Amino acid sequence: MNRESTTLLQGTLDMRVLKSLVASELHGLGISRRIQQITGGTFLVKPGSLFPALHRMEEEGWVSSFWGDSENNRRAKYDRLSKCGRKRLEAETKRWGRICWAIAQALETS
Amino acid sequence: MPLFVKARTLLRNLFLSHRVDSDFDREVLSHLELLVEENIRAGMMPNEANRAARIELGGIEQVKERVREARVGNWLHSVISDCRFVLRQLRKNPAFFAVAILTLALGIGASTVVFSVVYNVFFDTFPYKDFDRSVVFEIRNVANVGGWKSRAFFSAEEFRAFREQNHVFEDMIAHEDVSRLFYNDGKFTRLLPSGAMVTTNTFAYLGVPPLLGRTFSEEDGRPGSPPVFVMNYRLWQREFGSDRKILGKSFILRGRPTTLIGIMPPRFNAFNASLWMPESLDRGGGSLMGRLMPGISVRAAGAELDAIAHRLQKSNPGGIFPEKFTIVPETLHDSSIGGLKKTLYALLAAVFLLLLIACSNVANLLLSRAIVREREMATRAALGATRSRLIGQLLVESFALATAAAAAGCLLAYFGLQAVVALIPRGALPGETIIRMNAPVFLLTLGVAFLTTILCGLAPALHVFRGDVQPRLTASTKHAGGHFRHGKLRGRLVVGEVALSMVLLIVAGLLMRSFLVLTRVDLGFDPKNVLYFRLALPDAYDFDFADPASIAKARLWKNSLTRRLLDRMKEFPGIVSAAECIQEPPLRYDWSDLIIPGRPHIERWETRHESVSEDYFQTLGLPLRRGRFFSQDDMTRARYVAVVNEAFSRQYFPNQDPIGHRVKLQVLDRTFLDAPHDAYFEIVGITGDYKTRDYENSRWHKFPEVFIPYSVQGFSWRTFMARTSIDPRLVLKSMGEEVRAIEPGIAVGTSGTLEESLHEFYRGPQFELVSLTAFASIGLVLVVIGVFSVMAYTVSQQTHEIGIRMAMGAQQKHVLLSVLINGFRLVAAGILTGFAASLAFTRFLSSQISGVSPTDPWTFTAVATLIALVGLAGCYIPARRATRVNPMIALRYE
Repeated sequence: MNRESTTLLQGTLDMRVLKSLVASELHGLGISRRIQQITGGTFLVKPGSLFPALHRMEEEGWVSSFWGDSENNRRAKYDRLSKCGRKRLEAETKRWGRICWAIAQALETS
Repeated sequence: MPLFVKARTLLRNLFLSHRVDSDFDREVLSHLELLVEENIRAGMMPNEANRAARIELGGIEQVKERVREARVGNWLHSVISDCRFVLRQLRKNPAFFAVAILTLALGIGASTVVFSVVYNVFFDTFPYKDFDRSVVFEIRNVANVGGWKSRAFFSAEEFRAFREQNHVFEDMIAHEDVSRLFYNDGKFTRLLPSGAMVTTNTFAYLGVPPLLGRTFSEEDGRPGSPPVFVMNYRLWQREFGSDRKILGKSFILRGRPTTLIGIMPPRFNAFNASLWMPESLDRGGGSLMGRLMPGISVRAAGAELDAIAHRLQKSNPGGIFPEKFTIVPETLHDSSIGGLKKTLYALLAAVFLLLLIACSNVANLLLSRAIVREREMATRAALGATRSRLIGQLLVESFALATAAAAAGCLLAYFGLQAVVALIPRGALPGETIIRMNAPVFLLTLGVAFLTTILCGLAPALHVFRGDVQPRLTASTKHAGGHFRHGKLRGRLVVGEVALSMVLLIVAGLLMRSFLVLTRVDLGFDPKNVLYFRLALPDAYDFDFADPASIAKARLWKNSLTRRLLDRMKEFPGIVSAAECIQEPPLRYDWSDLIIPGRPHIERWETRHESVSEDYFQTLGLPLRRGRFFSQDDMTRARYVAVVNEAFSRQYFPNQDPIGHRVKLQVLDRTFLDAPHDAYFEIVGITGDYKTRDYENSRWHKFPEVFIPYSVQGFSWRTFMARTSIDPRLVLKSMGEEVRAIEPGIAVGTSGTLEESLHEFYRGPQFELVSLTAFASIGLVLVVIGVFSVMAYTVSQQTHEIGIRMAMGAQQKHVLLSVLINGFRLVAAGILTGFAASLAFTRFLSSQISGVSPTDPWTFTAVATLIALVGLAGCYIPARRATRVNPMIALRYE
């Protein structure tokens, strides 16, 4: 993915992280891999952006973190979606849907 | 809920930051391990897996920093850690901070003091309404004859004409001093400090409401209405203990029961009066004041009054207008602080220079440090500090520095202001000007200091981001190759500083020389152990100008009073000789046109004149050159004889013996004087010159002067003097009793000793001298600091070079000399610049100094030498440090 489109979609990072946590709690690498998987490898979230985002969202109260064991019995920090985070995700999804619809309309009519 | 979470997070971030940090360290570490594991599972070799994982993670420290930046309360956290850092730096480097704080504090303190004085004197002089539009005026005699040169006293008729006919003033008031204010408190009659008779519109004009009671209404001035008065705060406090109950009571003033109707607030002292009495607008006269209508110039107002006065002269040729005259207006402001204006401007310029020196010094210190810290900044940037983070850190540092300096400056300003208030000559400022710390001024000065500190403090951060970080990291800061620009700037600042300080020192030096000349002058008389006092005579001694009989009677009374008092004083223990005169030396105001029979002349002949008793010359210690002094017989018979001084003899009898010639003083012919008209005085003796001066001009002069016996005329203004063998102040204390013993109704007015009054004259120049010397000394200290800091920095940068030179065999003295020469080059450039600036600047000083040329070579040489020595001293310590460089250590240092 080139630099231009990443910048374009920077604002959606929060939404993608929250979305990846809907099914289950995950550690950082897990989140990164889940996003990669969901988007078919389009988005690659590097730790340099992921960690600040996760910590910000934790401070906002959208996710909560705890130490757990990974599938290979390693200690890892897991994040879980909170009630607040779920609401936030719904709102973000709706907003994003409206934007997509509006852009699609605009492209079709012109 | 989110609010609660946020607050909890904030607290945790602030107070458990260690735990939060170590938790995050573990998180990053586990992330790395997971990545490595994933790569190994994908079939990589372990070290390859490790490398790939690290590449994917990116810079660990940068990631950490980005997370820290994103935390709640991050800015607060960084401010706190920056503060801690500043404290650590301070502990490591106390000399740097002490010098910077001291420098700034001196600058802030001195400028606040002077700006406060200037603000209060120029913009807040009086408590009166629109005082900047108030104008006072006098009539000046422009003809070559007629005795007096100017008068600021106007008759009731003139005041009425001015007030009713002018179109330039909103309103006009008149006031007249009441000097003989006798107050009978039921037991004794006492003399109160002088009051004023004011027109009833005065208080409305000045626009200051009373503290208690009321001020005058038009009713109070009408003839026949009960007499009332308003008291000033100081009299109320001193004489009546701030008793509110005295309002409405009746006081016996000048023999008349008068009701107190109001008391004025502390900051109201119009016309320096202790109390004010009303006069109707029809009958009021004296000194006049008018408030200009908006937009009318002072000159236009003068022209209008001039026209009215000339009309008045035509319709009333018998009045007391001279042949040719003009009305000279002056703003109230100029007339009351005119004398101090120049001094204040000089101080303002001086303190401005000082502030410049202080700021450039601090700039210098900070810029030097900036270069040393460039590497530190580059390291921080490489470790992930953002630009805003670096700037923030430097801001906190500069802010801490500026705040400490501001606090110290505030203290200095407070005490400095008290010192200045004590130093300002009494009478130089109107009594209502209050000198106090001026908040806007203080803030302005603080602003300048903060701005300097912060701009210069930010230099390192700006520098780092201007170029690439990499070369700064690898290059040693000790090779200051790339910082030529900075070096030049610092050098220029030092040169400028030395030059400014040179100007200050030269001005102070000139004032000092001039002050010495002024105070060491041989006055020609001996002011030691001479006391003087004036008499306040009751109204009974007044006379009517129109009635010759009353003049004769008053003169007889006065002369008998003088005779009795002088005789009594001469017998008083401790008094060696006693005399009477009009005005005690060294002040002189009175001029008279002079006529010498048989000696026609075209130019104006003028002389000072004085009426004295027989022992005047002995009392002042004046020498007799020829002929004789007055005898007691001359006095009792009121003979028309005169003694002249040498200056008179030189000027009007150049190659002749004046003794036996007769002279006439034109001033005695004036209609309103109680003096013999058309009287010729025979010169009987010549006395030595003594130096005199007037209030306006600070220089000493020897004027031609004629002395005549006091008994020929009867001016009411009389001064008694006595030479004592003991401390004159002890004798002065008993004089009140002696005077009352002669006649109970008389009191002692102004009194003092000649030495004290001479000291008063020196207070003005002394004030200038002390304050400028203080500024010049502060400037000198700052120069030492400036030269020292720059040289110390240069030496520390050259350690490597010096090490190599010494390893190659350079002697210690060569190293010492080269550093000294380097530093001295800056000082010498500064001295040359300062020399040129002083030559240009001191010309404006010529009116302030006397007896010394404004380009006095001694002062210039002395100051240049002083600065050179001080500059060398500033270079010496760094130079010594340079000689102690151990070549081995210096070379290994890299």
